[in-house]
Amino acid sequence: MNDREAELISRCQQGDQDALKEIFDQYHKKVYRIAYGVVRHREDALDVVQEVFIKLFRSIKDFKGKSAFYTYLYRLTMNTAIDHSRKAKRALFFSLDEEGSFQPSDAQEKRPDHIAAQKELEEKVRWAIDQLPQDQKATLIYREIEELSYQEIAGAMGCSIGTVMSRLHYGRKKLQDLLKDIVKGREGQ
Amino acid sequence: MKDSCSSTSQLLERYFDRQATDEERSLVERHLPLCQTCHERLRVLEGLRKAIKTPVDEALKEETFPWVWEKIEREIRLGKKSSWQESVRSWIDLSPLFRKKVWIPAMAAAIILILVTSPLLFFKKDPSYSERSVVEYVESGVYNVMVYESENAKVTVIWLFEGPQTESPAS
Repeated sequence: MNDREAELISRCQQGDQDALKEIFDQYHKKVYRIAYGVVRHREDALDVVQEVFIKLFRSIKDFKGKSAFYTYLYRLTMNTAIDHSRKAKRALFFSLDEEGSFQPSDAQEKRPDHIAAQKELEEKVRWAIDQLPQDQKATLIYREIEELSYQEIAGAMGCSIGTVMSRLHYGRKKLQDLLKDIVKGREGQ
Repeated sequence: MKDSCSSTSQLLERYFDRQATDEERSLVERHLPLCQTCHERLRVLEGLRKAIKTPVDEALKEETFPWVWEKIEREIRLGKKSSWQESVRSWIDLSPLFRKKVWIPAMAAAIILILVTSPLLFFKKDPSYSERSVVEYVESGVYNVMVYESENAKVTVIWLFEGPQTESPAS
């Protein structure tokens, strides 16, 4: 943790919203990526981002600086996203029509056949990731989306590097089985 | 090469994740052109990463976040106003007594305890009652008698004392 970050955290702990804004500016994209990796849904990911920074502001007093700040924030993000995902799954039983996904901006990509294919792909990936145990899912998201090192993942998850490698290995193996067609199709791209 | 493939399965993943040492990296890079299996495995890992990561990157390109910050700011402002209500609610949520609804049996136990102990506390017997007693002293020519009798007459103690006048002086 550098001096600037330590100062921001200290100000935030005293209730300074401007300090929170600076932390938001610095981390919101990373938080969004992790959140999207778990919930695989645009609106839900934005809800998670919002929830994470509100929780951070309320709970930052508990941050004692024993670990790196980003591990604290990533853990908060992962827990909030997983919790949100669980609630969303429950809501799905009552409202199947509310399924949403990424909306491409490019005019060419807005063609109905492309959107349908994109949506199907997204659904499959989301479904496959949901089949993984929580620990494997979180490890894969940290690695594949946020590109954290093994050391950083171990810090964020409070486990050893060996455990990180094992979770990655088995998570990938299971995903590979579940997404055989997609993975093969993308190999050549 | 197949044997070395099975033993370098995790090494290949470390290489793919850019976590291998220089020595491990050069080992894999020498091995890859000679081994179709490992080459294929690497392509599968790449395909998997793309399937997971590409939609996230594309979604991120579309997002504008200022309004998210505005919502956060508003929520925090609202939260501050009702912070005392929140803290009471969160205390209730966090308190295992309320959360687990153990307060019903706990209250029942407390009421029973009060009912059992209240007669002892409020209707305690007069401590001097049991100590009330009667002591009588009777003098006679031969013996002096002291009679101790408790109030409820359950215990009676009689002492007999020889009178001093009966003692004969030494001759």
